[in-house]
Amino acid sequence: MRLISFNYLQRQRLVILTLVLMLASVLFSITAFGFFGFYKTFNAYLGEEQDILTIYQTGSTTPFTGFIPLQLTTRLENISGVLANSPEITAPTLVMGKSIFFRGVIPEEFSKLNQLTILKGENLQLKDTHFTIVGKRLADTLNLAVGNKILVLGTLAERYLELEIKGVYESNSAFDDEAIVPLYVGQWLRGTNYETVTIIRVKIDRGKLTPSLLYEEITKEADAPPPDGKTRPTPIEEIIPISTTTINPENLGVKETRDFMKTYLERYGMTQETLLILSAAVFVFASATVFSASHTFVRQHEHETAVLRSLGASTKTLRLNLIIKVLPWSIAASLIGVIVAMAILLTMQNSNLEALSHRILFQPDLLLITLDVLLVSAIVVLGMMRSTKKLNPE
Amino acid sequence: MLLRKSGTVESMLAIALIVAILASITSVVNHVNSQAEIMGKLLNLGESFLIISKNSTSITDSKVDTELAELLGNNTNTKYVLPQKVFTASLITTSNRSTVLVRGVDAQTFLEARNAQINGTYANETQANVGEILARLASINKGDKINIAIDNETVTVEVAGAVQTFTQSDTELIVPMSVANLLTEDSSKVSFIEFAIKDGEQAAIDNLSERLPANVKIVKTQQTQAFIQDVNNQTLSFLSLWSIAVYAVVTAASYVVASRLTVESGYELTMLKALGAKPALPFKLILSFTLLITLLGSVLGFAIGLSGAQILSTATRWTWKSIQIAPALEIQQTVQIILFTLASSILGSIYPAIKAMRKTYAELPL
Repeated sequence: MRLISFNYLQRQRLVILTLVLMLASVLFSITAFGFFGFYKTFNAYLGEEQDILTIYQTGSTTPFTGFIPLQLTTRLENISGVLANSPEITAPTLVMGKSIFFRGVIPEEFSKLNQLTILKGENLQLKDTHFTIVGKRLADTLNLAVGNKILVLGTLAERYLELEIKGVYESNSAFDDEAIVPLYVGQWLRGTNYETVTIIRVKIDRGKLTPSLLYEEITKEADAPPPDGKTRPTPIEEIIPISTTTINPENLGVKETRDFMKTYLERYGMTQETLLILSAAVFVFASATVFSASHTFVRQHEHETAVLRSLGASTKTLRLNLIIKVLPWSIAASLIGVIVAMAILLTMQNSNLEALSHRILFQPDLLLITLDVLLVSAIVVLGMMRSTKKLNPE
Repeated sequence: MLLRKSGTVESMLAIALIVAILASITSVVNHVNSQAEIMGKLLNLGESFLIISKNSTSITDSKVDTELAELLGNNTNTKYVLPQKVFTASLITTSNRSTVLVRGVDAQTFLEARNAQINGTYANETQANVGEILARLASINKGDKINIAIDNETVTVEVAGAVQTFTQSDTELIVPMSVANLLTEDSSKVSFIEFAIKDGEQAAIDNLSERLPANVKIVKTQQTQAFIQDVNNQTLSFLSLWSIAVYAVVTAASYVVASRLTVESGYELTMLKALGAKPALPFKLILSFTLLITLLGSVLGFAIGLSGAQILSTATRWTWKSIQIAPALEIQQTVQIILFTLASSILGSIYPAIKAMRKTYAELPL
């Protein structure tokens, strides 16, 4: 008996089933895209370029709190294949009641690794002792303009200082949620001396250097005696007093910038796989509703299926027909769920939703969308198969 | 008999699993947030405060009565009181002219409070201390005569020494308050008052806040707790928005529970109507059944969620030894989740209940 053209399912009930499936899909998508958005945003925090490496303190618990010697920068200049290096110090602070990360840099070196587009005002110079430039998103959030003065309060150290906004920049990265200051201002806010920084990012010639090769070179440089005679001081050495410090390579790590962030996320169990499992677990927990909805849908059509059974349709034919008729609705529900979830997440993104004071950027992921469609369809099919077992002509 | 064995258990489980998601994730987020707060408390927190104008967002725009410093000085709980005047001025040396920040303050008390390293002596009434970085930038040496100018007012001082504090003062000129007053032509106001209290004297700050005039405020210089609280609130904002999606699924689940009840208990509902039951009775029965299922499901959900999170955290500890998660829920969070779940359930079950109420027994097949 052929049932394909026989329209015995009530449209209103189909629409309601679709709505239930869509809500389950929305929950899965918000969870998965939310987690992955956080993961990807922080992986790309310092950039994703393969020719930029990060030198960091291996024992630090967060990417914002390590200490490595600033003097390493002068040694890096001796290594063949190093094109530029940017020492940076991150300092968590409070400005106008909001948590803000300040990044202390040598502006000239920083610009060799990250090009900032100055939207308003001027770019920062190393000699701008009481100035800062702020990212576009931060300026929008705090309603800051060029010429405004802000009171910055330290969180890791007992520090307060006043800075004037010199410019507003855009970098299309996580730096747009931060403020940039000269290196020594970052060191004050972090509560450290002038000899240490949080990380050094290094631009390399990939044909000559790799992370492990750079580490080897640093080890050699650390063992080598300091250069004889008076060398010309670097711009930062002209401004801040830097004394000679020993470089201990055992405390240092060198990784591609993206891997550097990944290391920290993994340290807290946050891998792509665990996030995927967690998202799928959320869906599996919500799937009891999808399962129950499929069952209820079949039970709501008991009279129609009983008539068809009486007319000679086998349980197998009915089951197959129900699945064929419901599956397109299920796929549509999953896709609408993804669209609704993305719309919600983008609204959240535009309304200053942050994690660790950085805007989370949500992006649709084909793997997650496929997984969503497959999971919803699988649960619907299982629900249908279980419910249609009980169909009988009585 | 509305409580059917298989349907009731399945319905309860559907609600329980959704509540379990909410309970487990909320409990893990609570742990992460509490860990951040504990870490914040472990930091060696500063004990200094600022009194600044209520409406000012910066130091140089702030104006506070000098007399307030005396009020603070008389308080036995204060360690030190430092009225300060901070302003921008022109620094004129033999080779250089630049705009700098000038800090009028009792130089010795101020620099001692900052554990400053000094190359020279503390500035007296006709002298200035210069920050190490400013000294390098403007090529100023100990013993140099420098001019500080604001508009038409110019003061000449001798550099008593260069100082290193690892604070903003390394780029400032530190002058005695008398010099600052001369330049600003106002001795009744200062920019702000910095003071420190003895350990554990929070009550003293509360007491002081009450006695201060309405146009000033007290600001703690190290804001670790406020920073952590703000970061935690960011996580909670996402959790709140995410939980809306969870409650939407609870609404859908309740709709399914109520619809399934009307289908599976059609015979009983029809009998009730045929025997003369008022139309409101099916409505009440369906609503109470769904709410009972939701309530029981919520309790079960909390149990599943919290034990699940505990099992997961134990398993996580096996893999990543550094991770120690202790999931926990606050009592108000528990009540809130139950109330929101019940509200979502009412929302979801109301339509099937109304539909069942409106049907006559003739429409309901036996």
